[in-house]
Amino acid sequence: MYGGGNTFEGVKTDSLAQEDPVKLAEFEARIERGEKIEPTDWMPQLYRKQLIRMIEQHAHSEIIGALPEGTWITRAPGFKRKLALMAKVQDEVGHAQLLYSAAETLGKSREQMITDLITGKSKYSNIFNYPAFTWADSCFISWLVDAGAIVNQLANAKGSYGPYCRALDRICAEESFHLKYGHHCVIYLATGTQKQRDMFQEALNRWWAPMMHFFGPSDKISVHTEVLMKWKVKMGTNDDMRNQFLDMYVPKIWELGFTIPDPNLKKNPETGRWEYTEPDWEEFKRVINGDGPCNKERLEVRRIAEERGRWVREALKSPKAAYVTPLA
Amino acid sequence: MNSLDPRVKRLPVVGEPGQAEPKAPLDQFGTFEVFVQPKEGKPFQHEGAVHAPNLEMAFVLAKETFTRRFQCVSLYTVDTRHVFVSPMTEGNISVFDYLHDVPEQTGTKVSYEIYQLVKRGKQHIHVGTVQANTPDEAMSEAKRKFHSDKIVYNIWAIRTDDIRFTKPEEKELWLTLPEKKFRDASDYKGGDKLKVFLESR
Repeated sequence: MYGGGNTFEGVKTDSLAQEDPVKLAEFEARIERGEKIEPTDWMPQLYRKQLIRMIEQHAHSEIIGALPEGTWITRAPGFKRKLALMAKVQDEVGHAQLLYSAAETLGKSREQMITDLITGKSKYSNIFNYPAFTWADSCFISWLVDAGAIVNQLANAKGSYGPYCRALDRICAEESFHLKYGHHCVIYLATGTQKQRDMFQEALNRWWAPMMHFFGPSDKISVHTEVLMKWKVKMGTNDDMRNQFLDMYVPKIWELGFTIPDPNLKKNPETGRWEYTEPDWEEFKRVINGDGPCNKERLEVRRIAEERGRWVREALKSPKAAYVTPLA
Repeated sequence: MNSLDPRVKRLPVVGEPGQAEPKAPLDQFGTFEVFVQPKEGKPFQHEGAVHAPNLEMAFVLAKETFTRRFQCVSLYTVDTRHVFVSPMTEGNISVFDYLHDVPEQTGTKVSYEIYQLVKRGKQHIHVGTVQANTPDEAMSEAKRKFHSDKIVYNIWAIRTDDIRFTKPEEKELWLTLPEKKFRDASDYKGGDKLKVFLESR
């Protein structure tokens, strides 16, 4: 589960001036032709850096995203829901493994990525810094956060980096179950008792702002990403992705009789774009930089898990092992 | 730790909260490449890599990571260091044009599995086995045996003895149980409930 542009950091194109212009032109022509870039191909430093950042953030988001949902496995209503949620959480953790491998082919070691996550240097999807209070929050995540992730991932799967695209194809295929499962859970709450309906409405109220933040800062304040779009690292602007999500899911939420907590939310029939109250980007910035309700807990849980597994890894370490970059 | 989750609350205090030593090299072990056979009669194809302490664990983790949903009848793993890789070509240049012919050598030959990349962006696919003394000779043999009009961009050669294959009795790992539908999108049909609800409004 991953939402695009997570930071306000600008893309520094300075390094481009030092690239070999002939190689750069060949590289861009290859992307233009719709061919994929493979790990052994020449690529500009900026491309490598941005892709590592993006794939790594995606991998961390899968791992951290499993935490708020994992909380609900033991308390999910009924045996089937427990099994399904367990399978979903396992899927998410598996996705992280695929993504860490894809990022590794670009030259950043898995050890370094995990260190950067635990020390707070690398980011993950900001939405997981919020708590899942009730079962309905878990349903919101399964349905709508996954839906948002799918919008992003389907777009990114058409990107230019071979290993990332192949990982995303596998991930998207598994996510279709998550989405159906999540929608099913929400339909049950929506068609249930008043108490169940209220429970989902409250979850919706809590999660709407983080959901709008999910796709990253508005294009109006976001830094320029033309070069990343040209290189098919980024496949759509943050606002495009947000609009696509609203287009697909707002009608489905309304259909169930729920109210979205934004009086200004409506589709402009002329432009075909959704209009909404501008999300609070100051809050987004504050939370992503560490001051959210769950940031500390999420990283601490991850850190403790690593610490507690240390002796196992030590015991299994082979003196003959040597590191090489995975192939593709 | 203060949390809504009782299991998080119960976690023991380990080390310094918020502090982490940088991980040592190989803390996450080396990598192993994973090949999957999607159907009986179809060739094995490369799927990706796993980190594991040894070949046997790599096999177990590969099964968990790569065969959760997609059909699979068999898989195998090999240490990434044991995969010999040719140069990569593009456009209408075949990698076979780059491979030099190694003169026939004497000595006990061993078998090598050969994989080809025929479409950039796709996976390497198993094409067959050759007998050779060295990886170089195996590549050269591959050129002799599998050269055709089809453009091949990249070749891998792996000594057959370095591969951890699926044993016949392990094949049942992939027999899907009918009651495992709960991880299948087709099992979640809320449509009827939704229809009744919408009609009642």
